[in-house]
Amino acid sequence: MIQMLRRLFLTLLFLSASTPATFALDEQATSESPIDILGTVADHDNLQTPFGSIPLPRIFYWENGAGESQLDIYKSSASAIASGLFEDIDHVVSPVSGHIIVDLSITSHLFFFWLSLISVLLVTLYVRSLYIGGTGRISEPKGVIQNLFEVFFVFIRDEVAKPNIDDRKYARYVPYLFTVFMTIAFMNVFGLLPWSATATADITVTAALAICTFVITQFSGTKNHWGHVFWFPGVPFGVKILMIPVEIIGLFTKPFALAIRLFANMMSGKIMIIAILGLIFIFNDMFGSTAAYGISVFSVILTAVLYILKLFVSLLQAYIFTLLSAVFIGMAAESEEDDEEHYYAEHTA
Amino acid sequence: MEYVYLAAGFGAGIVAIGAALGIGMIGKAATESIARQPEAAGDIRGAMILTSAFIEGVALFGAIICIILALK
Repeated sequence: MIQMLRRLFLTLLFLSASTPATFALDEQATSESPIDILGTVADHDNLQTPFGSIPLPRIFYWENGAGESQLDIYKSSASAIASGLFEDIDHVVSPVSGHIIVDLSITSHLFFFWLSLISVLLVTLYVRSLYIGGTGRISEPKGVIQNLFEVFFVFIRDEVAKPNIDDRKYARYVPYLFTVFMTIAFMNVFGLLPWSATATADITVTAALAICTFVITQFSGTKNHWGHVFWFPGVPFGVKILMIPVEIIGLFTKPFALAIRLFANMMSGKIMIIAILGLIFIFNDMFGSTAAYGISVFSVILTAVLYILKLFVSLLQAYIFTLLSAVFIGMAAESEEDDEEHYYAEHTA
Repeated sequence: MEYVYLAAGFGAGIVAIGAALGIGMIGKAATESIARQPEAAGDIRGAMILTSAFIEGVALFGAIICIILALK
């Protein structure tokens, strides 16, 4: 043990003595790297397709130099700049005079968010028309879509909603949980396709979903739940006063953690893929094209393996978001007879 | 001398150690419990996945901060 510490200390000493030699690299430190990681993951105002990029409309609610607010819709960033009222400062379109109050443009992340929502809606409407026609009720379910829909719906109802939410109330929340699960799964899996953007790799998208969960959780809170938040029973008086800010902060950190967990998982997967494939270009820049060819074999195989992991993580994160939403709703909708402390107090006194 | 990249690298490494330790302990407890009581395997698996997601969420908080540090 002492010998290991001694060796570790000597290694660190050696490393610290050799770092001044790397000062010479400082001149190259400001060069542009051949790949732009954050630029690829960030929101774009155009859609990338295999045939080129389609510009998306920009919608500004802005206040011009004369102080009047107006809502302007442009077909693309280029037409916004061509109208003379806006200019491109460092890749951000901003007005020549005045400032933007709200930027309501349609970006690629918003497009994919809407695409997933519309896909889920279309699937559900199609299955609904089948059920009304009697296919799933009277006779057996027919076709791939209806069977898959039943698999996921029964999974959400029996494994996610029922164990976590009160038996009398869980049926009200199954539609929301199913929608959230399918939307996040669609968005995550769409992001795996080439040329498309992962909508959940954007904190605003995941924050919007977490806000929906937060609103539903608060609206399903029983009197028992609010009593617990503001006046925690079963502990001494001083601890009760201390628990009030703790519980109130806890109300907000839980959906915040939901949003960050989904965002971080999706964004880290995307950044890893871009970085590992970008190694090829960086090697090309630094060491020449032979090294780039050599590293491309390793990079592409690693990327393929990472894709499998990302597929698993996409579906798992959708499930985790739904499961935790169900748990939070269940904790808020807990009614008095099922409460453990009251059960103990009533059945032993 | 850009110490930001060094800090981001060390931070990400420490975050990975924390997450791996936590999830490893959960895995150990989960497999031992399933070995003791195979009928409860479904419940234990659910609890294991749920708790791993919490720990991974916290680990990715740290990882995101390291990414922001390194790419700013």
